[in-house]
Amino acid sequence: MSETERDMHAADAAWVADARALLDESAAGLDAATLSRLNRARQAALAGRSTRMRGLWWLSAAGLAATAVFLVALVPWHARAPGASALPAEADGTAAIVDAVTADDIEFFEDLEFYAWLDAQDPEIDG
Amino acid sequence: MTSTIGGAVCATFSTNCLTGSMPASLNADRANSHALDEFLRTVERRALRMAELAAIPRDEALDLVQDAMLGFVRHYAGKPPAEWPPLFYRVVDNRLNDWHRRQNVRARWIDRFRAASDDGPDDARGMLLESSDPGPLRRLAGNEAGQALESALIALPRRQRQAFLLRVWEGLDGAGTAAAMRCSEGSVKTHLSRALAALRRALKEHE
Repeated sequence: MSETERDMHAADAAWVADARALLDESAAGLDAATLSRLNRARQAALAGRSTRMRGLWWLSAAGLAATAVFLVALVPWHARAPGASALPAEADGTAAIVDAVTADDIEFFEDLEFYAWLDAQDPEIDG
Repeated sequence: MTSTIGGAVCATFSTNCLTGSMPASLNADRANSHALDEFLRTVERRALRMAELAAIPRDEALDLVQDAMLGFVRHYAGKPPAEWPPLFYRVVDNRLNDWHRRQNVRARWIDRFRAASDDGPDDARGMLLESSDPGPLRRLAGNEAGQALESALIALPRRQRQAFLLRVWEGLDGAGTAAAMRCSEGSVKTHLSRALAALRRALKEHE
């Protein structure tokens, strides 16, 4: 037993079925002019949707085209830009040097003049 | 990386453009349009009859159904097809409410003008609400049952008539009818029960 039938009294079932049949008959018996108007109305509703979807497709296509043009223009510019890609590496290198310099290294750099003088001395003198 | 993505985008775009093919989503949309067409084809006649049983003249009922189809397609075409029937009849129900609201406002103004001018025996309000079209049931030769049913349905309160038509004729379940009528399932049962009792009484009078 369907939910609809359960909701109805058993006594109603017979005439309700008749009522449904009569209503079906009335819908099936619509004249040609009315059916034609319904058909046009349905087509109009679907055409409105198609137009909107076509508009969306062209919009997305235009968006893709714009993105492609942008990327095509960006890649050569990116490759040719003077030192464009070197900057981050340089920045990283400087940071590495600064990080590597500790207090001991500062003493080493201060003694550089001594090592240069030592290097300049004649090795034979030291024997 | 950038050029790879750019290349992929260009390749996809050029493939679509050169072959003239549309994206898969658009093909799916075509299938959806076909399903929509089929669905509207199955409900349009019943929607028209529902409008007529709400005492709306044929021409206006056709406009109402067209408006309902447009509204349904605009707002609910993207929903799963299983959800379409209650959503479509919800739109129809809204349009029926709007129509009756407009008629009531118009009738009130006509009553005011009539009271002010008092220039004729015609009942303008009655003329507005009464359809000159006898309707398909009444056109059936010698079909008294059909005429009786149509009269009884037109005489029902709007909510009771909708509950009866959606549950009995359209075959929506309780939840679907409640969704279409924007009320609880309990209310649907109450409306349906009263509609059945009123129709039974009215049809007995015709026996």
